[in-house]
Amino acid sequence: MSARDDIIAAVREGLKRGQGGALPRRAPAEIRAEAAALLAGLDEIRPSLVTPDPVEAFIQKCANPALGVTLDRVAGWAALPQAVTGYLDRHELPHRLAVSGDPRLSALGPGIETHAPCAPDEAAAISIASWGVAETGSVVIHSAPDQPILNAMLPRHWLVVVEAAKILPFLDDYATFASLRPRNAVLITGSSGTTDIEGYFVRGAHGPGFVHVLLIG
Amino acid sequence: MGAPEKSENFKQRAHDALADPNLKTAIERTTGTAETKRAAAIGAFPEFQAARVRGAAIKDHVIANLDHYLIEFERNATEAGAHVHWARDAKEAAAIVTRICTEAEAKIVTRAKSMLGEEIGLPHALEDAGIERVETDLAEHIIQLAHERPSHIIWPAMHRTREDVAELFFKDHQPPPDADDPASMVASARRVLREKFMAADVGISGANFLVADTGATCTVTNEGNAELSTTPPRIHIVTAGIEKLVPSTDHAMALLRLLVRSATGGEVTQYTTFHCGPKRVGDADGPEEMHIVLVDNGRSRMVGDEFRQMLRCIRCGACMNHCVVYRQIGGHAYGGTYPGPMGAVLTPVLDGLAASRDLPHACTLNGRCEEVCPVRIPLKTLLKAWRVRSWDSQQEVGAVRMGLGIWGFAARRPRLYHFGTRLALPVMRLFGKGGWIRKMPLAGGWTETRDLPKPAARSFMSQHAKYGNGGPK
Amino acid sequence: MSKPKIGLFVTCLVDAMRPQIGWATLKLLEQAGCEVEVPRAQTCCGQPAGNSGDKRGAAALAQQVIETFEGYDYLVGPSGSCVGQIRSYPTLFSDPGWRKRAEDLAAKSFEILGFLHDVMSWQPEGVGLNASVTYHDSCSGLRELGIEAQPRALLEAVEGLEMRPLNGANVCCGFGGTFCVKYPEISTAIISEKTANIAATGADILLAGDLGCLMNMAGRLHREGAATRCFHTAEVLAGMADGPAIGEDA
Repeated sequence: MSARDDIIAAVREGLKRGQGGALPRRAPAEIRAEAAALLAGLDEIRPSLVTPDPVEAFIQKCANPALGVTLDRVAGWAALPQAVTGYLDRHELPHRLAVSGDPRLSALGPGIETHAPCAPDEAAAISIASWGVAETGSVVIHSAPDQPILNAMLPRHWLVVVEAAKILPFLDDYATFASLRPRNAVLITGSSGTTDIEGYFVRGAHGPGFVHVLLIG
Repeated sequence: MGAPEKSENFKQRAHDALADPNLKTAIERTTGTAETKRAAAIGAFPEFQAARVRGAAIKDHVIANLDHYLIEFERNATEAGAHVHWARDAKEAAAIVTRICTEAEAKIVTRAKSMLGEEIGLPHALEDAGIERVETDLAEHIIQLAHERPSHIIWPAMHRTREDVAELFFKDHQPPPDADDPASMVASARRVLREKFMAADVGISGANFLVADTGATCTVTNEGNAELSTTPPRIHIVTAGIEKLVPSTDHAMALLRLLVRSATGGEVTQYTTFHCGPKRVGDADGPEEMHIVLVDNGRSRMVGDEFRQMLRCIRCGACMNHCVVYRQIGGHAYGGTYPGPMGAVLTPVLDGLAASRDLPHACTLNGRCEEVCPVRIPLKTLLKAWRVRSWDSQQEVGAVRMGLGIWGFAARRPRLYHFGTRLALPVMRLFGKGGWIRKMPLAGGWTETRDLPKPAARSFMSQHAKYGNGGPK
Repeated sequence: MSKPKIGLFVTCLVDAMRPQIGWATLKLLEQAGCEVEVPRAQTCCGQPAGNSGDKRGAAALAQQVIETFEGYDYLVGPSGSCVGQIRSYPTLFSDPGWRKRAEDLAAKSFEILGFLHDVMSWQPEGVGLNASVTYHDSCSGLRELGIEAQPRALLEAVEGLEMRPLNGANVCCGFGGTFCVKYPEISTAIISEKTANIAATGADILLAGDLGCLMNMAGRLHREGAATRCFHTAEVLAGMADGPAIGEDA
């Protein structure tokens, strides 16, 4: 028998032994229903938001110093270039960014040079997140032709745009979008960090040391 | 290096660990911080107890329907374009991974920390196949340079002090770190490893969850090394135990809340990534091939025996952070892939009880591990179950069997027992000086390092027989 | 209401090593309005066998304890770990008859302090002790029986007592039954941390609810030359902490 058949047979044998000799054959629908029931009453098993309004909660979460995130509220897409140059200036960075290919980023305006792809030692890159999650202060990106995953991983400074309308309350609310089955879905919560040397927290282990959220709207 | 040490010499290794003055400091720094941060995270999550009941139920549901979920996962992962492989044991699993690497003519392989990878001996197997293996998790990078194995499932290099790390990095890194503070050393590792990430042919990761209804695998990291290991190379290989399944992403989220708080005290890891098949048409980046190796290695047997609940384990490390024994001797003394309480249950499954008999016994049964376990694994009960197996298979030391035999014989005959106590107590008292016994035959295990209170001249039962409820006064 | 009838489970350690804890337990139960008997047919709860994997040996002793104590309204003993073992008796039997008897006994078996506080709603009166004390939560009592608030609440009623918090009070002392002699080096490392924490409180007296842990802590404290005196909590509550502490000559 193949390893696959052996393993499945061994699992069934184990289930049989564990259940006193008989393997209950259950309909997939029944199993699905039982699985769904395990997630009933989500509020009982998840933390409540720090404040009821998801956008406000998201902002508060991002303000947690442990996350290593900064956040700017941006009035609208038109105000984005100014917010970006403001950030770059504050960090004394050249007005030069790796962009994701999303058309909304190609016109960041005069004075900001954009390019793709992101270089391994890129100083700064910018992406647009599909969602934000208020529960944790996370942003979510899905891989796509105009969404390179490496833009979020390679630069020293990662700027990420998210629309206030796309802030979801809980991780579970994001999970419903998993049915889109992106190749890569990355929930990013703060800057990269490590505590591997004597428990000291150091930012920028492999990924960005600086994450800046530009919250639109 | 790397080859799994056998656990036979547990006592010797524990002795050596206790004699190492730096080790205790290093362990205490990491586990002490972890304990404090976890407590704060749980304190801020009033729903924790309800969540862990549900977490345990989710895992139990998966194990009770494991055949169903394995097939569902295989179907969905295959549909997404991943190749699903099955491995009965460690050897088969390592062989599948090395074969994929050799067939791809891989020269450099990046690895994102996975305990399953350690369990199947992957580091060794890749080296034997002549493939350059690059550990990308910072702690794994440290122990790769030190030619060691992980001593903790979350902080594999927790036994290494900052000075140790500096020595290793200054010797290996070109150019060397700017200074020996943690920030400079992390920056240096970033520099060195960044080149490898981009040059690797294959990236290997583990999985914290296998999502049945999407066919995705999920990894969680704080450094971002998993994403950098799995995105640039041509091939992404996942190795995962068959117990890692969850019905859906929603279930993964419920478990993620428990996992991260219990492991690091965070709410979520910095990076939580779902990988579903290889690069799609037009994708900006991503691997061209994705392989998933589903590993049994003793797990299917556990489905049917008294260790089934161990399959709930989500590898958070809280049990070892809260274990008085682990905190004294560290992870290497356990000798297996997994240390601490969860390791003491799993190692006998993986390496056999004969080679690891000490592990389930070297535990005070204080129950703190199961108190903090986010999926309520009855670790104490499972450790005791190994003791029963050890006893039943005649693996207990003769003297222990005999001593317990004599004592049990007497204890089942109360009159004999009380008579014996009456005779024994005065004899024991002869060894006493003042109220204490400093040394007594057969009591060396106790009196080597602590005094033994002198027993009473007359037992309670004997006093009570004489005086009744009113007592001696 | 008639007086509840108690079978006092003395425990083998108290029987041999420190009978006074047995007397204190008996006295407290009578003060709380119980009728107490000390069945002669008792020896040990079977923990050494159970924790060594000798399930048959443990079951044999469990049967003896069940037969001896099932006729009482309650079994009460001065040890969280022994009572914890008795509460676990049902897991030792596959025979439904014995299992049922084990379950019945488990349901009415209590550790003394939990029993006084939770079942009898009793509070000490007129007991005093002028001393600073610190308290160690013995693991079995704490995690198997939930003994945490009860001893503290009872001790609060003792006049003159100054309670000092113990850092790591809920961390194991390294006793673990046979563990301490099977792995003496590890056990010693663990207990040495505990004694350092005890010393740091500067308390005159250390209290706990299990004689095994107490002997371990007292024995190590004495070897280290510490002056801390050790008593079972029941001894203090019964007003019997005016004599020699554990290891002190009468």
